[in-house]
Amino acid sequence: MNQDSPVAALEMKEVGKRFPGTIAVDAVDFEVYAGEVHALVGENGAGKSTLMKMLAGSFNDYTGEILINGEAVELHTPSMAMKHGVGMIYQELSLANPISIAENIVAGHLPRRGVLVDRAALAAEAKRLMSIVGLDLDPDLPIEEISQHEAQLVEVAKVLGTSPSILVMDEPTSALSRDEVERLFAIIDSLRKRGLAIVYISHHLPEVFRIADRVTVMRDGRRVATRDVASLTREEIVQMMVGRSVKEFYSRAERTIGAVRYRVKDLSRWGFFHHVDLEAHVGEILGVCGLSGAGRSELARVLVGLDAADEGTMELDGKVLNGSGMAYYLARGIAYLTEDRKSEGLALRLSMEDNILSSIVPRLRRGLRYDKRLGRTTVQDLVKGLSIYPTDPTVTMANFSGGNQQKVLLAKWLAGGPRVLILDEPTRGVDIGAKVIIHEAVEKLAGAGNTVILISSDLPELVGLADRVLIMRQGRFVREMSYEQCTEESLLLAANGEESA
Amino acid sequence: MATAETKPIDVPDARYLRSNRLSRIVNVAGIYGIAVLFIVAGAILQSLGVINNFMTTRNFLNIIDAVALLGIVAAGMAFVTYSGHYADLSVPTTMALTGIVTVELLHYGFVPAVLAGLAVGLLIGAVNAVVVGRFRANPIIWTLAMSYVTMGVIRLVWVNRQIYPDVQTDNIRTIALFDGIFRLRLFNVISLPVLLMILMMLAGHFVLTHTVYGAQLKLTGSARRTATFSGVNAERVIGIAFLIAAFAAAVGGLIITSLSRVGAWYNGTGYEFRAVTAVVIGGVTLAGGRGTIIGVIGGAFVIGLMNNIMTLIGIGTFSQDMIRGAIFILVVGINAKSLRSLGRDDA
Repeated sequence: MNQDSPVAALEMKEVGKRFPGTIAVDAVDFEVYAGEVHALVGENGAGKSTLMKMLAGSFNDYTGEILINGEAVELHTPSMAMKHGVGMIYQELSLANPISIAENIVAGHLPRRGVLVDRAALAAEAKRLMSIVGLDLDPDLPIEEISQHEAQLVEVAKVLGTSPSILVMDEPTSALSRDEVERLFAIIDSLRKRGLAIVYISHHLPEVFRIADRVTVMRDGRRVATRDVASLTREEIVQMMVGRSVKEFYSRAERTIGAVRYRVKDLSRWGFFHHVDLEAHVGEILGVCGLSGAGRSELARVLVGLDAADEGTMELDGKVLNGSGMAYYLARGIAYLTEDRKSEGLALRLSMEDNILSSIVPRLRRGLRYDKRLGRTTVQDLVKGLSIYPTDPTVTMANFSGGNQQKVLLAKWLAGGPRVLILDEPTRGVDIGAKVIIHEAVEKLAGAGNTVILISSDLPELVGLADRVLIMRQGRFVREMSYEQCTEESLLLAANGEESA
Repeated sequence: MATAETKPIDVPDARYLRSNRLSRIVNVAGIYGIAVLFIVAGAILQSLGVINNFMTTRNFLNIIDAVALLGIVAAGMAFVTYSGHYADLSVPTTMALTGIVTVELLHYGFVPAVLAGLAVGLLIGAVNAVVVGRFRANPIIWTLAMSYVTMGVIRLVWVNRQIYPDVQTDNIRTIALFDGIFRLRLFNVISLPVLLMILMMLAGHFVLTHTVYGAQLKLTGSARRTATFSGVNAERVIGIAFLIAAFAAAVGGLIITSLSRVGAWYNGTGYEFRAVTAVVIGGVTLAGGRGTIIGVIGGAFVIGLMNNIMTLIGIGTFSQDMIRGAIFILVVGINAKSLRSLGRDDA
């Protein structure tokens, strides 16, 4: 670590970024020195990604000042960021598939001889960059023939090709096995020794302790603290991420929990989740907690008939569900609110009314005639009940704010009066006002004797709402926690594979 | 947690966002307004002596008959475009094959021959429905391939022959009935094709706006994944759209074959593009989920009038193709631009 060196490789001074309805990053100071790995941690929505997107040149309207090697720079476009030596490695790989390793690595600055690509120079440059990340492969291999781990290293080599002085890695290990993670860490270590300033974003606290020199914790768009990793314990970091006890934020109404409504036995979808047992009761909000990639959404898709299970049984009120297709499940009152609002949840080009009614189209029928006037009072009640704004049902969906879009998405599923409602990240990326309204509606639904299965990475949400929480890890339920056992700390540690006391 | 604002900052002004009933009527009326402008233009050209015989009953009957044929095919095609699948390019060969099969089978009687012709047309539609709906083939490439395969079959089986109703063996009454498809006129004015067009327009409008299928098609055409995630069987919905297009093309095939009194591979040539043009200038966007069948018929009227006036002026076929192509590009361009300026780059 080089904290005594005079200038930071990167210094962000009171930077901020607003989105409609929220302040994503609020006057944050952040500095990284050459030769250090600096971990950036925080819950979902804490502002880590926004801060890094700012650095990558994704926004031209951020506030505050960014200095690179002591020099004030403006990072308004990705190419400006690249020019100033910022290299980004995202969770999803950005490699072009049918072409070779070498072409991927050197894409963007292909060596030329006249008008032709200089193949020899291309291969040499690719080889040089590959050797830095310890890849010993034929550079002419197409990307599709190499493993996920090797592809990740190709991605690193590609970014190194732009000679960055600052390297940002966003959850780089999410798709890697334990061995591969170790190898990646060795490479990160060697890059640190080469004097790069590395920002490492991760949910996995053990990795932070393994690789980082310092850590910055963010919460609600602000920086909580920056410390030497060696001076902290895991519990202290979690405490800083969480910051407060949330239970008192949720005024919890008493619910009576009844018989089992949805019972799942030994359910598997090969490669995604295995031997899952689950019992969701009448009047219950059952939380499902797990890191991304744990198989939560895949499970939800099977529970509502979007995908078929490879084995196992599902029962609703004691009756086996043996039909296929979502319509079959929907007709029995089982509904699913997707985590992908924009491409799976709403039709952004249609009106709010068309969107809310889209889940109950077959019911709006008088003889042969489809008549959406039959749904008018339903729409009016939902708009009022969820304070959807604008209130005019004919306004096109694309013109609603994120929070109101999410409320409309919930309204769409409430319209059908679901008996089992599966919510997948129901408040991701929405402002606090919408969040409170959505939570109230969910509690009301459960209070009326329906069943809610709440899949969420938002720990306060799970702790505040759920009667029980199932912890999912690598496609299995590994633990169950009652409302009393549930705290953000215990959930976070359990999802990370750390059993708390 | 309690720090963020509770009120959204980007409160949109609802006045600019409404796609209300009035604006929809204006949109649909707009295309008929353009049709009226063409009639006025034709009248002016005639009074200037540039063209003759425009403002005659005979000419208007011609125009309406031509519009009827195009309108029927376009009304069917509109379902495919509305479903978000651009166009069915197998329409021309569907028309040709329907006609050929019908003429070939006339000696079994009028009704069986017509039913067989329609069935063959629907069969092509069924293949499109499965391949595009279920297997998600690219609709343009697939229906183009389908068109070539059908054309190959026609040329192989009928070896480039033109099929005439056989006066020797076919019943004279059957042939008269077949000829009558195009020529029968109620009260000496309204021809059968015009009647069929009005029927298709009303039925199509009803299906699109007043049936569960129509509502599901709108959702599927606007956002297919969202439709699937709402419990809609998108494969089936898209498949039915291709069946409707094929049925309309088959009806069009019967009319055009009756008109020319001969079943031939070239019947229907060019109708795919003319139909898409009518669909698009009639207000159905290529992105899907938007437009009306009544607008599409209006689009057919505009094209029919334009063709008629260009022919009367003496503009050659090739130049006419060029002008129609230019208008298509213009309309699609304007559509894309106006949608983009509304902040929706999905025209």
